[in-house]
Amino acid sequence: MNVDNNIIILMRLLEMSDSQFPVGNFSFSNGLETASYSGMVNDAMTLKQYVVAASLQSAYCDGIASLFAYRSALSDNYDGVLEADEQIIMCKMNDESRQMLMRMGKKLSELYIRMTECGMMNRFLGDIFSGRTSGTYPVAQAIAMCHAGISEKEMFVSQQYGVINMILGAALRCVKVSHYDTQKILFEISGLVAEEYENARKLDFEDMQSFVPCIDIMASLHEKGNMRMFMN
Amino acid sequence: MKKDFLSAKEMLPYSSPTRAMYVGAPGKVGALRLGFELDNDGKCIMRDHERVAPLIVQRELYCDRTMPEMPVVYILSSGGPNVDGDRYSQSIEMRKGSFAHITTGAATKIAEMKDNFSALYQSIRLDDDCYLEYMPEVTIPCRHSRYITYTDIECHSSATLFYSEIFACGRKYYGDGEIFKYDIISVCCNACRNDGKRLFREKFVIRPGDDDVRNIGIMGIYDIFANVIVMTPHDCAEEIYAKVDPVMTDTFAVGITRLPNNAGLLYKVLGKETEPVKKNVRAFCSIVRETVKGKPLSDDFPWR
Repeated sequence: MNVDNNIIILMRLLEMSDSQFPVGNFSFSNGLETASYSGMVNDAMTLKQYVVAASLQSAYCDGIASLFAYRSALSDNYDGVLEADEQIIMCKMNDESRQMLMRMGKKLSELYIRMTECGMMNRFLGDIFSGRTSGTYPVAQAIAMCHAGISEKEMFVSQQYGVINMILGAALRCVKVSHYDTQKILFEISGLVAEEYENARKLDFEDMQSFVPCIDIMASLHEKGNMRMFMN
Repeated sequence: MKKDFLSAKEMLPYSSPTRAMYVGAPGKVGALRLGFELDNDGKCIMRDHERVAPLIVQRELYCDRTMPEMPVVYILSSGGPNVDGDRYSQSIEMRKGSFAHITTGAATKIAEMKDNFSALYQSIRLDDDCYLEYMPEVTIPCRHSRYITYTDIECHSSATLFYSEIFACGRKYYGDGEIFKYDIISVCCNACRNDGKRLFREKFVIRPGDDDVRNIGIMGIYDIFANVIVMTPHDCAEEIYAKVDPVMTDTFAVGITRLPNNAGLLYKVLGKETEPVKKNVRAFCSIVRETVKGKPLSDDFPWR
């Protein structure tokens, strides 16, 4: 029987992009918990702004490094994968965000080698345990998705979807918005992600950047505060 | 000290040559090299300096009331504001055990531009047990100005660097108000240990014409932004971190986090006006000085 590989790849993309994919996505709010508590995010309009800022931050930092990791994995250049992992840690200024990416990266690595045979992920997980590399989530995603036959563009979209959906999912628990609001935001923001990919795919490590000072300060308030509906 | 600023892709739209004085003309390539060390009596001095106008330093002063033993150096620019095609560079070397406070005599104004951009490259090196407070006055980018800075930091694990930058939204009260009317500010700070071990690289690019700077995750209701890097030994960093309380009010907001690779701390302040931002930066510097040197920062001069 002929099997349509595209269907298999699409199924795997959906599996790894699903909010139920057990890497801990639902445990984090990307600072939204504090933003909501402070009143900064209080309706659909402010939530959308917050999501846009977080998406830009992710695209031009994690996104760039992840595309490099993907291209390295595709050419079996493991050193390139590790370089991307180090670059993410060096450029991720917020301590809480670094911890989040490392926890999720390790979880994905552990999960993926139980799902399928993947030599590079095995090696990556070993290096996480030995302390040779940090094991960030965008790099673990690059290894897994490259191995699963998913394209770099689809991987980028999946990552951005993950960031946006994480915040929108958290918003339903801590901001006065409805499912209608969050789905409308997700629908409307698709054009932004397309634009981000067109830009990010041409950039390199030196271009990794982030300018979201209000989100950074929110994260700091969360880091030193005692609100704990979501993890830090 | 040369840096190819056109390798920064965000500056490519501003690569047109200047129509007035060409890039590299005398007066447009200011340079400074400052070296601090302890003399034979253990006094910290500015042992050597080179300067190319319009960047100027005069001799070091010992005017800090709580640390009178510390040399204080004011960097001045005889050329007035930075204009199209200016390329400045500054190198600061802190040799073993030395300590200093470096600031600017006034705000750095980035003038309105039609061609090209203004750039500053900085190299800061701290050997073991050094202490440097680098706290320039505010940078004010005028309408259609373009400004890029790139800073390489090499810091020994036993040394402390307090490095602050404050960016205004523009000439807020000029005419109808120049608030986020500049074209671009690109700031990159790249830090490593003396043996080359990479620590962090922070880059931010602000393009008010393209990006919604009023987004609540970006500047929100605030107009002034301060970014402070503190590289210091781990135990000092933890002590300083414990002493700072993040806060968000209608007039200012403050946050702190730990830098990657145990490099130290990153402190950010946002404010509607310059004064509360400067006040918070100075208060933070005082915590750092107290923790590392056991002495607080003295009050700023009333005319500053």
